[in-house]
Amino acid sequence: MQVFLQNWIYLIASVSLIGVGLYIVLTKENIFRIIVGLNIIESGTNLFMIAIAWHPKAVMPIYTATDHLAVNGKVIAADPLPQSLVLTAIVIGLGTTALALAIGVKIFEKYGTLDVRKIKEAEK
Amino acid sequence: MNIFNNAALLIGIPLLFAFSIPLFGFISKQLTKWVTIFVIGFNATFSLYILLAHKFPSVVVMGNWVPPFGENLYVGPVAVFLVTVVSLIGLLIAIYNLWAIKGGDVTRFSVLFLMYIAGASGIILTGDIFNLFIFMEITEITSYALAAYGPERRALGGAFKFLVVSSIGSTLYLLGVMLIYTQLGTLNIAEIAARIGQTTPGLLTFAGVLLISGLAVEAELFPFNGWVPDTYTGAVNGVSAALSGIGAIAGVYALFRIVMTVLGKDGMYVLTYGKLDLMAVIAILATATVVIGELSALTQKNVKKMLAYSSMAQMGLVAAGFSIGSTLGVYGGIFQLINHSIAKSMLFLIVGVLVAAGVGERIENFKGLWKRSPFLSLAFTIGAFSMLGFPLFAGFWSKFAIVGASIQRGGWYDFIIGLVLFASVAEAFYYLRIVTYIFSSTEMEKPKIKVNLSPAIPIFILAVAIVAIGVYPNLIGNFSMQSAGEFTHKMKDYVLNVIPTITAH
Repeated sequence: MQVFLQNWIYLIASVSLIGVGLYIVLTKENIFRIIVGLNIIESGTNLFMIAIAWHPKAVMPIYTATDHLAVNGKVIAADPLPQSLVLTAIVIGLGTTALALAIGVKIFEKYGTLDVRKIKEAEK
Repeated sequence: MNIFNNAALLIGIPLLFAFSIPLFGFISKQLTKWVTIFVIGFNATFSLYILLAHKFPSVVVMGNWVPPFGENLYVGPVAVFLVTVVSLIGLLIAIYNLWAIKGGDVTRFSVLFLMYIAGASGIILTGDIFNLFIFMEITEITSYALAAYGPERRALGGAFKFLVVSSIGSTLYLLGVMLIYTQLGTLNIAEIAARIGQTTPGLLTFAGVLLISGLAVEAELFPFNGWVPDTYTGAVNGVSAALSGIGAIAGVYALFRIVMTVLGKDGMYVLTYGKLDLMAVIAILATATVVIGELSALTQKNVKKMLAYSSMAQMGLVAAGFSIGSTLGVYGGIFQLINHSIAKSMLFLIVGVLVAAGVGERIENFKGLWKRSPFLSLAFTIGAFSMLGFPLFAGFWSKFAIVGASIQRGGWYDFIIGLVLFASVAEAFYYLRIVTYIFSSTEMEKPKIKVNLSPAIPIFILAVAIVAIGVYPNLIGNFSMQSAGEFTHKMKDYVLNVIPTITAH
């Protein structure tokens, strides 16, 4: 069941990407940097999803391409489902980023700055 | 397992028309708003038909792949009831938008609004934990864009804040989904619900915390609701009404579908698997939400901001009702959710009319409103009374049910009695302050406010609905009672309706 833990190096990398992204979103004041931080979090999640689907000895999950989908009753093919989910997640991330950048451009037009603190002051 | 594939139209028709609205936009901009009304009207009639003709519980099977192999929609009592409420409120807001949305890009506003309704219906109907994520993203991305709509620049800041918080939230939700997937290898809600006992408790607890933090963003629970005041204040009033009337229903539904159906144990009171009882965690978060929301609302001078904080506090009450975990508690929670949606969207629509008439958003501006527009004053008063739970108005019965449920459960859940009373007192203070302002007289004679027909219809219907529910609570109560069972008896009322052959582990 815990086959995916064999990819610990990717799992650690994905979790640290998420951590780095959260740090950026929480500490930076520039709207553009916040958007980059969001993107890093999304990359971390996508890497996580790929990492749980694959293990070092996996073969491609196409039934006719190989006779070795199962060895000793254990499936050794990579799990195709998370890979297809990742595609959806990437597309959704793209949409969110595009909308965030559009709102960022609008904010720069209306306020003349991308600094979150200055925008907050301008509101008061 | 009854199969009723036509229910997929509830999502399909709004999506289809959403993407073909630009074609209608070539003909006339006014036409796109009528198309929106027509499509949401179809949704409302069709879901009312399913509700009244009792076509549920049934399952929509995609491409003949029966669950758990294929993706499915589950048309249960909760789903039908909430979709009906969502589309009826959506219809009323669309009628209001006929008058309110004039400047700017009307065509794209209609596209976004229809997609918002489609996404919210999808969240409620879906039977697949990953499709829930996709519909959540559809709802959220459209609501960022809707919140940024309008001439005012403060809308942009609110929309951006909402975007940052809720895209982090949905990423956390996705992580939780994948952690459950590593354990069970399935994404079907019914199958996960039946087999959740097979998971490693530690990993399940971690996944549960991630799922709750993701879903609490839209359900407006405490550490994740920083976006609420800015977004509600910045957005145009029709959108604020939609966020509090439609988005909140979908968010609360998703949160408790995951916590109670997917992670919960069958029993007298719902508890969750794992090392930590997540229902108790939600009870604590809900308490914090109510206290912080009500105390912040007390100090606001801006009516829209006050309504936003009050909306936050009410969602806390809803979550507190659900977190009791008994049928009566969930009944109170659903009832409170519906009452809040009706009353809060009406209040936002009234503020919209008043702002357009040049009254302004500050509390002082409401002085002497009774002389200027008796209709709006009465409607506002009815909404305020329902919010604070005055007897013979809708909000009374739901708060009553939540108190009753916490007495029935006993133990440390007794504090929810105090919580409801605290919320009512705080709400009485800040809502009655506005009502006093409305009925006080001013020296200056100000011109009367003329209310157009198109905003007057939704306000009138919502006000009548509040009084009707208050006088005859079984109007909503019967459906809420039916729905409550689906949350508390997950095997009998949910899992076996979707996959009849499965046994619980």
